[in-house]
Amino acid sequence: MFAATIEVAADALRECSMSPKTVQFQLGLGACVTALFLAFVAIPTWVSSPSNVSNIVLSPVFWPYVLTALTGLTGVGLLLVSRYASATVDPEHEDLSDGKAWHRLATLAVIMIITMFALPRLGMVWTTMIVFGVTALLFRSRHPKTALICAIAIPLLLYLFFAHVAGVAIPQGIFVRLP
Amino acid sequence: MSFVDSLMAGLSLVWSFEAFFALFAGICIGVVGGAIPGLSATMAVALTLPFTFAMQPITGILLLLGVYKGGIFGGSIPAILIKTPGTPASSATILDGYPMAERGEAGRALGMALWASCTADLVSNLALILFAGWLASFALNFGPPEFFALILFSLTIIAGVSGDSLLRGALSALLGLLLATVGLDLVYGTNRFTFGDPNMMGGLNFIAVLIGLFAIPEVIAMAWNPTAHLGKARSLGTSKVTLTDYRRSFKSIIRGSFIGVFLGSIPGIGAAPSAFLSYSEARRKSPNKENFGKGEIEGVAASEAGNNGVAGATLIPLLALGVPGDVITAIIIGAFMVHGLQPGPMMFILNVDIIYGLFIGLIVSSVFLFLVGSVAIRGFKFVADVPKRILMPTVLVLCIYGVFAVNNNIFDVGVMFAMGWVGYLMVRYRVPAAPFLIAFILGPLLEDNFRQSMLMSGSDLMILLRGPITWFFWVLTVITVVAILRNVVKNTTP
Repeated sequence: MFAATIEVAADALRECSMSPKTVQFQLGLGACVTALFLAFVAIPTWVSSPSNVSNIVLSPVFWPYVLTALTGLTGVGLLLVSRYASATVDPEHEDLSDGKAWHRLATLAVIMIITMFALPRLGMVWTTMIVFGVTALLFRSRHPKTALICAIAIPLLLYLFFAHVAGVAIPQGIFVRLP
Repeated sequence: MSFVDSLMAGLSLVWSFEAFFALFAGICIGVVGGAIPGLSATMAVALTLPFTFAMQPITGILLLLGVYKGGIFGGSIPAILIKTPGTPASSATILDGYPMAERGEAGRALGMALWASCTADLVSNLALILFAGWLASFALNFGPPEFFALILFSLTIIAGVSGDSLLRGALSALLGLLLATVGLDLVYGTNRFTFGDPNMMGGLNFIAVLIGLFAIPEVIAMAWNPTAHLGKARSLGTSKVTLTDYRRSFKSIIRGSFIGVFLGSIPGIGAAPSAFLSYSEARRKSPNKENFGKGEIEGVAASEAGNNGVAGATLIPLLALGVPGDVITAIIIGAFMVHGLQPGPMMFILNVDIIYGLFIGLIVSSVFLFLVGSVAIRGFKFVADVPKRILMPTVLVLCIYGVFAVNNNIFDVGVMFAMGWVGYLMVRYRVPAAPFLIAFILGPLLEDNFRQSMLMSGSDLMILLRGPITWFFWVLTVITVVAILRNVVKNTTP
């Protein structure tokens, strides 16, 4: 099911080499939607303002509303500009990735999510050792032995510096604790 | 305190093995970081920042300044040898540096890049020493309305010079300003976009945002295309730069240095436009103008002088006004804050020893840059051979440790990952990240000064136009906005 979802996402976003027209249009649309969401949902719901504010310019909602309005205007500007932008893909921005790129991207996202869960449980040293190894594998490193040595040595060296020189309380986890 | 007293106070602070070693190590890290394509001077400074937390303020800041200066020069090495600028500022160096490398004169081009860089760096540092104090004493007259007008002007400049699309730069700056509103309200203490999470009440951690925005997208880009970096480096060749080459290019170097100083002292412009302007001026004035673009050594000298001339000058607005001159100085401002220092005019009164210590360190940095650069040119092969598919996991692990170390908070690591994906999307959509970060820093200052002005005046907006200083910045802002709009219209009209 995970693979199928990735395939759908990949198909939907297959157009990786975007023309300036597409870029401007999608950004403009995104900015307008963001501005509308902020104005009608996010600011009324998640920004609290005391009822006794004497003047609107001093209210906590004033600044977010000003920025929202400017974001909306920029979005409209981008949409207008997109009408005149070139529809051909600039060779400089041509996408040269292979078909597995979306899988790797999704795997990296999963690695980051798992890292967040593993940090307080496994500890920073063990988690980062695994993260190093898995990402080197994901990037198809041509030096597996060097990657393995670095995966062990770099987190340990960083632990030594931050824990024993900088005095940072590095999370140790609940399984194996380092001195 | 007299000038001599201030100088002696600075000297007593900086006169230690640790301070000079930090500066030297910083330049080494910067040159290597700048020389590795994809790592960039910005990322090198961002990754070094967490290591300064345990240091004395002057030592930590000198380390970062060393990385900054080394990184700007280091970027020219891959620009000349593999046609890939290590930093955006080195883009102009490619124009003549790479054709020289193709002719087997890479060593000569790199030598000239180093000589021009060191000369421009020295000119820029002297400009900083001369002008920062003067500007700071002037800025002591600033109140909230003046600071509001200044920061607003800085923001329009940032939006106006951000890449090939002004609107995308403006959008980036607005998103940075919006993100800066997260946290408790400055006046009433009410929640803004905190979702009830205590981790968000102090706002998003600046270092998590900056590392997420600049380092993590490179890791994600590596996942997208792990072989994109593969290229072929050229050998240095046998020819070397001579004093005759230097003398022939001297005018262009000095002109480029002054262009760098002028553009660098205006917040937001940065090194790349300065390098291109210096290059085009050298081309316009040179008797060998027809050779430009085909491997003219004066072209290399002019572009390198242009981008290094910025390095000291960007610190003028940072130290004198507390406004970062470019994205790297925006990161360095974080180091000041972590050590409890607030750059700005008051720093010239309260921490004058640190200011003069930095000045002394910066002058010494030009000498260190020459020494390290000479070795780095020969050693580039080893730097280029660092497997990028091992380097990027290292960057990822370094980011996790570094961001956690700021507040001992795993939540910040999550913020960094989230900002990494935002940064990656920005790269894909060609939205520059620099305006986002600078706006994220300036946002609270802008809002704070605006609301303080309103409180002072009983919500009378006319206070924002209360005197010649505010008028000056408002006029500059209006001129910039008109220029931006004219440019947009010119670029979009078919």
